[in-house]
Amino acid sequence: MRLSRLASRAPAPVFGAIGPGWQVAVERLLARSGLRRALTPRDAGILLVAGDMPGDAAEALGRVHDQLPHPRATLRWTVSHETADAVADRIVASWRDLGAIDEADLLPDQPPNEWKGVGPHGQGGKGMMGGTPYGRPMAMTGEDIRDGLQLDRYTARIGPFAPMLPPGLVLEVTLQGDVIVAATVQHPPFAQPVDADAPELCAARMLTILGLDGPARRAIHGRRPGGIWVRGAVPRGLGGIEGAGDARDRLAAFLGGDRAAVTAPDLSELLPGLEWSEAMLVMASLPPSAILRAARLPEAA
Amino acid sequence: MTALLALAVLGTLALGAVFAVAMDGRIAQLAAGFARQRIETEAPDRLNRDLAAVWYLALAAAGLSVVPFAPGLALIDSPVGIVIWGTCEALTIITVFLHGWSSNAPFPLIGAYRYVAIGLPVMLPSMFVLIAAALPAESLSLPAIVESQRGMWNVIRQPLGLPLFAIVVLTLTLRGPMDFADAADIATGTSAEESGAARGLWEIARAAMLVSASALAATLFLGGPLGPVLPGPVWLWIKTAALMAIFAWLGRRVARTTPSRMLTILWIVLLPLSFLHLAMAGVFAL
Amino acid sequence: MTDLLVALLAAFAVWTGWRVFRVDSMVRASFSLMLSFVAVGGIGVLLSAPYIGIATVFMMAVEMMVMAIFMVMFMMNPAGLNPMSMVHQHRISIGAGLLAALALGAAVLLSPLPSNPVLSEADVVAELGHELLGPSMLIFETAGVALLATMLGAVILSSRQGRFGNSDEGSRPPGLTPEGEPAGRKPEGGGGHHHHGGHG
Repeated sequence: MRLSRLASRAPAPVFGAIGPGWQVAVERLLARSGLRRALTPRDAGILLVAGDMPGDAAEALGRVHDQLPHPRATLRWTVSHETADAVADRIVASWRDLGAIDEADLLPDQPPNEWKGVGPHGQGGKGMMGGTPYGRPMAMTGEDIRDGLQLDRYTARIGPFAPMLPPGLVLEVTLQGDVIVAATVQHPPFAQPVDADAPELCAARMLTILGLDGPARRAIHGRRPGGIWVRGAVPRGLGGIEGAGDARDRLAAFLGGDRAAVTAPDLSELLPGLEWSEAMLVMASLPPSAILRAARLPEAA
Repeated sequence: MTALLALAVLGTLALGAVFAVAMDGRIAQLAAGFARQRIETEAPDRLNRDLAAVWYLALAAAGLSVVPFAPGLALIDSPVGIVIWGTCEALTIITVFLHGWSSNAPFPLIGAYRYVAIGLPVMLPSMFVLIAAALPAESLSLPAIVESQRGMWNVIRQPLGLPLFAIVVLTLTLRGPMDFADAADIATGTSAEESGAARGLWEIARAAMLVSASALAATLFLGGPLGPVLPGPVWLWIKTAALMAIFAWLGRRVARTTPSRMLTILWIVLLPLSFLHLAMAGVFAL
Repeated sequence: MTDLLVALLAAFAVWTGWRVFRVDSMVRASFSLMLSFVAVGGIGVLLSAPYIGIATVFMMAVEMMVMAIFMVMFMMNPAGLNPMSMVHQHRISIGAGLLAALALGAAVLLSPLPSNPVLSEADVVAELGHELLGPSMLIFETAGVALLATMLGAVILSSRQGRFGNSDEGSRPPGLTPEGEPAGRKPEGGGGHHHHGGHG
């Protein structure tokens, strides 16, 4: 009994599924004490669905929902006159009473394809690599874009609620190790209010990628973030854009309270060649409005 | 005596882990995790998925068992104590890799091999620091290394040792600037598919490893159980707790650069620095 | 007691060694092999060779880790989603395996094994150190430097950035005179962006 009382005092772990126009509200909400922003649905107890979700995001939302471990609860925050205080109270109340709420899966828990081996060793394809064994695409070797070495290429679709990407953005990335060799935008990010470009929020997104959760929180609250080797940790020349400096310059501008006006090149040109963590740092260094303009669908580009 | 030392190792590990979690302000969060269920991924390697955190804990315990709690008194009083610790370091890298590999999902796998890429070059400065600490003692045994510090602690005569070893500790405990396995840009990496008690156990194992590595740092550089008035174990606990607080503070405060840049720093700056450290320690020992 | 532990470790080493060929993924095979070596290292410790025993575990841990990483790089196979067979070229491998087992077994059974128990007060680690850095120093240092040179050579040969430009663009040493014939050996097959025909 004492364990559960201790547990209910923990900050409520919330995974935010952010809809069009709600990024600022949710980012400020989850920086409050008593709430904790979960970086993966597996770590969350509460799924916060903010805003009206477009119909094409419904299936992804269902998949995120089913990844929360039991017991879990979904809260919707759709009317803008409900204050952040009221939502925070609702979240904490649900978190305290989670055992009584628990929700069932939204989508059927069955594999998309049957498990049925084809090859002589029980593998799904004929060879040992590549192909789509059991209907699941596997990595296949291809040329490394840097030195031509034959290494595995793995293609995956990431988004629309991936915590390290802007809400709504769906990227199809082909990775070789953690080097991005190709990236296409499958769905542009949701439009966000001008406030989403606020320097303290942009700084907080970069600080989170740099592993500085405490300073990120303080930045959102408008306090001095603190932290050691913050600008220096961003490699010089990373994500350099004509007229907007590199990611380190933009971080310095955000920390100094300046908005950065950036016209970023198309994401499918910006990201290839970067390692995943560099790419995420570059993405965090771009204001959401700049990413929205840079995320053109392949046919439009 | 052996039973008492075993008790001391386990007690230090348990209380130290509680202290480590409390420093991060995560006791309630950890308790909450244990009240939650676990979700399976598709076709995981169940053995390693279930056991990775246990291996990690076991390595923390094995590492602590070579640390002397009083002058000349270690649970495993081996003539090659620091080699045993080095082996625990190498096996920790494998454990973290298996933790990420076994859940059969992209982000954990990226975290896993990214960590190996960083962890192997971190082993090199670690080995040089360990060898340098063994030089004045003319022995690979930790009780002898403690004895060699009666006159002067290694932290003074080997000034580069503790800073270099701090990087090793942060790597082994997946903290802050060296946490390339469970980073935010890959949705907590090797833990991204872990929920409930499994996630909690991983947290506890990380905390236990911080205790173990800090106790070893205290032994190598701060004279371990040596000190006036108070008995040996108390001095070891005080020094270990102080180092744990420093490492936890560094973990919360120092920014994490990108893996490729960290690799460059490790090979081009820290490795030559550790050569220099070893050379200085050798000259001093002569 | 020690006999029993040695027997158990030996059985574990054989069992994990057998698992190397029975599991269905390269990563599992690598770490089974590592466990096998860990057991052998344990036997070394029990045979009063603590440094060699522990160092075996340490070396094998790092080596198998590197091996597993290479396996993931070339055939990413998380948790054996796409199982694969760890044995191939059955006839040759069975023959080679049998031959090696018979030869090693014969060597063990036929050679007179020495029996000089280590005195409990002997400082085996220090003696090993004196041996390695005394009479055998030349051998070990030569082997060490040769291995290092091999590693550096392998990295340099496989690197794309050659001494005279990128290797896949037909790198060419500079000419003795401006735009003249290259000094030393000419690249085979020409090709590349540096020179456009006419050089013969």
